[in-house]
Amino acid sequence: MKNQLTKSIAIGLVALSVWNCKTSDPEPTPYESGVFILNAGNFSNNNGTVSFLSRNSNTVATNIFQTANPSLVLSGGVQGYTEVNGKGLILVDNSTAGQDKVEIVETGTFVSRATLKTPNIENPRQVIAVGPNKAYISCWDVSGDYSAGTFYKDPGYIAVVDLNTNTVTKKIPAVKGVEKMVVSGTEAFVGSNTYSGDQTLLIVDLNTDTEKQRIAFGSTPEPIALDATGKLWLQAGKDLVQLDPASRVVAKRLTFAAAPGSVTISADKKSFYYTLSGKTYTISTDATTASGSIVISRSFSTLGIDPQTNRIYGTQNPLLYTQAGYVIRYESTGTLVDSVKAEIAPSGFYFR
Amino acid sequence: MAIVLSTGRSSFAQTDSLIAAMNRVETAVPLSAVTVRDIAPERFLAGQKLQRIDSTILLQFKFGSLTDLLALNTPLAFKNYGPGQLATIAFRGTSANHTAVLWNGININQPNLGQTDFSTLPVAGFDRLAVQYGSSASAVGSDAVGGSILLGSNPGWKSGIQATIGQQLASFQNNQTQVGVRYASALGQSWKLSGKTFAYRNQFNNAYPYTERQHYFLEPSTTAQRGFIQDLYFLHKSGRQISINAWLTDNDLIITPQDTIARERTRTQSARLLATYEANRMTFRVGWIRDVLDYAKQNFDNPSHTETERLISRAEREFALLSGTNRQLNLRIGGEWSHYRTRTDGYGGQLIQEDRGDLYALLRFQTTRWLVSANIRQAFVTRFNPPITPSLGAEYQLVKRDRFKLTAKGSVSRSYRVPTLNERYWIDLGNPNLLPESGLNFEAGLAANTPLSDRVNLTTELTGYHNRVDNWTYWNPTTNYHVENLQLVVARGIEFNTNLTYVQNSWRAGLRLGYALTRSSQERAYDAYSQDVIGKQLVYVPIHTGTLNAYLQHGQTRLSVQMQANSRRYITFDNSQFFKGTTLTNILLEHSLTWKTVPIRVQGQVNNVFDALVVGVKRNALPGRNGAINLIINFPSL
Repeated sequence: MKNQLTKSIAIGLVALSVWNCKTSDPEPTPYESGVFILNAGNFSNNNGTVSFLSRNSNTVATNIFQTANPSLVLSGGVQGYTEVNGKGLILVDNSTAGQDKVEIVETGTFVSRATLKTPNIENPRQVIAVGPNKAYISCWDVSGDYSAGTFYKDPGYIAVVDLNTNTVTKKIPAVKGVEKMVVSGTEAFVGSNTYSGDQTLLIVDLNTDTEKQRIAFGSTPEPIALDATGKLWLQAGKDLVQLDPASRVVAKRLTFAAAPGSVTISADKKSFYYTLSGKTYTISTDATTASGSIVISRSFSTLGIDPQTNRIYGTQNPLLYTQAGYVIRYESTGTLVDSVKAEIAPSGFYFR
Repeated sequence: MAIVLSTGRSSFAQTDSLIAAMNRVETAVPLSAVTVRDIAPERFLAGQKLQRIDSTILLQFKFGSLTDLLALNTPLAFKNYGPGQLATIAFRGTSANHTAVLWNGININQPNLGQTDFSTLPVAGFDRLAVQYGSSASAVGSDAVGGSILLGSNPGWKSGIQATIGQQLASFQNNQTQVGVRYASALGQSWKLSGKTFAYRNQFNNAYPYTERQHYFLEPSTTAQRGFIQDLYFLHKSGRQISINAWLTDNDLIITPQDTIARERTRTQSARLLATYEANRMTFRVGWIRDVLDYAKQNFDNPSHTETERLISRAEREFALLSGTNRQLNLRIGGEWSHYRTRTDGYGGQLIQEDRGDLYALLRFQTTRWLVSANIRQAFVTRFNPPITPSLGAEYQLVKRDRFKLTAKGSVSRSYRVPTLNERYWIDLGNPNLLPESGLNFEAGLAANTPLSDRVNLTTELTGYHNRVDNWTYWNPTTNYHVENLQLVVARGIEFNTNLTYVQNSWRAGLRLGYALTRSSQERAYDAYSQDVIGKQLVYVPIHTGTLNAYLQHGQTRLSVQMQANSRRYITFDNSQFFKGTTLTNILLEHSLTWKTVPIRVQGQVNNVFDALVVGVKRNALPGRNGAINLIINFPSL
């Protein structure tokens, strides 16, 4: 009995010293290279997370924000993520008004540095880098009753974040249901959510953080990306539209049979991937008709293209967001690589 | 190690069922002498656990919610959305739809949702509370799959008029007021009248001095509750009785009231009326229940509206087939008919009507050592075919000594649940062809009563159960959220409770411990993803729960400690996410005094003494340490 006690104390001490050794190592940067999976969570459960997937692994590290910050909590759906000069901005959308936030973390470690909250942040939708230490966050603002048609506040706004001070310095009035933003030169092209019904393409001057122009677009514009030639692509219902950002003139319009889903630009910015009628297609930016070629004979709720490997990432969710969804990886040719269990409702990727 | 720790952390617990069970055997009065007024589940479910909550506890929770009372005194788990917000029950590992809530013997679950929001039922609304464990469809009907909560009114026959006023002042600018009168008098030579008129209003402003606790937000909300109770009993010297019971409730919940765009209002109003005539061994009941549910966001003027009415009638006759002093055999036969009318925006707004009927026969046999019941029920529902539900239960006193009594119990019963009106009639999603869920429940237990000395008494009860529920409904996302009978849930568990009491002169002390192990899981594969779910613990059902209640009383002063602990609660079907286990501790100090012949009871309570962090379903923190002062003045008879 006494022997056993001595033994267990000894084992305990060894374990403790090993643990001590481990913690005295220099701070590791576990999330240096790989893929962040943004999990929206189940809406009213406010249980979104960010998981990390290494390129050569097929298991994710779950809820890495909580791992890096045990005393903090995201408490909302993860709506977006981007990095600006060593800082990561996580958009967190809570089902209760006044409880949305943006967590600012150190890239690589995910250690929290600051939190932006209400009233500066309300229904954050997308975050983009617009300068060496500046980010724009599109926000719907407080949402009302959907069935009464007052869900989208008019207008929503863009929160300007100064990452030197980690504060919101300004709210730029934008458009109703403001959502996707793409930067071209010193301008941001800003559109809105299809369901908002707003048909304005807003152009914001990045130097002054003010509105520069509003273009009536005819249908709801959703900016996607700049292609290899520097042209801006937008989705407008069933159409993919190529626009010259300098002259604001529409260069080309591809009209599909139905609205293409998850339109994502390739690593070389010379083609798009999208889903349509249960399949995943690719189409060149040089195409003149809306006829892509099938890459994968199934569709996904979200697509992502890894710029390092050109691999296609797709998300597949059990339809109830009460159990983990999956991320399925393919080579750019459409060959299946593997299927990885993520967390609740994976619905976005960030590759680094 | 982890298992040991988590078990240790949560092993506390509950109950008074033992005393009740013991008393049931001990004080068996020949039935011919009394008019049987017990509702069926209290009398015809031999072998099943029945926990009567004693009046001391009801008095302690006079300003409390039913949720808190049950959580602190039973192993029942609650899915709680926040203070004053929706709270649904998980009884022995079943869902919110699987607990029948009876008020004076009538099921008052809201029929559209098939469940009760326990936050809308303050303890002030009833005089009696018991918890019937396990399936009891044969005696109760639909919904009694995991168990039943029995609420009831009690007549008081003390002559005169007694008025009572109660006021609570609590943290966060919350307050409650209760006003009531009880009266009794003779009405001529043959009749006696007893009545109670009682009203309450509870205002929960939830003005927290903080917006976050340990980085979890607190959700701003207000709840205004009002209630009115009217009971009248006319008792004839022959034993015939006419009783009228009414309970009106109005619950008005507003989430984020300060934000005029995002605010949400849920208003629940219920009216419950019941008339009962009891003569000899006949009972007739007529009831009417109206439930209104209004939900609105932003603009409160034009809410989404749900309105359901039920007309209920029931007739029962009890036969004493044997009525010796050592052997009694009783048969109760009964029939029930209800008419439902619902007008619900989600069903298209048109009037939908249906009829439900039940026929049942309940048999009870009692000797000095045996108590056996055998029951059978067949329900009939318009456009629907519920199964026949029998049950058989027995209790046998194994040891019957002065200082030690041991009773063995066992029962087997079938149960069913008529799908909710939403499940059948909701536009596009509802499924009129649903089958009833059907359950099979086994349980067995041992109950012991050990008077250790003249001053110390110990009661202990251990129960194990296995409840298999098939055709469990599921809003199936792969068929556009149509409701289907897809799941098979198996719940099994162990419940242990013990109660130690000590009495000497003006001193009293007591300790009640309860522990429950609840393992409940979905067992059938029905889609490509169910492999991740099969065998996993159901959400919001902790595997380990415990309660500890201790008190020390000297004269008119009593100090009580109430503790509730539970292990982690999974929040996703695949158990990939969970809320950590928690322990909540409340302290209550009570003192009764008499001021110029007016008895006054003062209660001071500190809730969540250790400021534990408990998280609600929406991942919001529940409030930290908080307090209340309660004053109850009972004016003497006029």
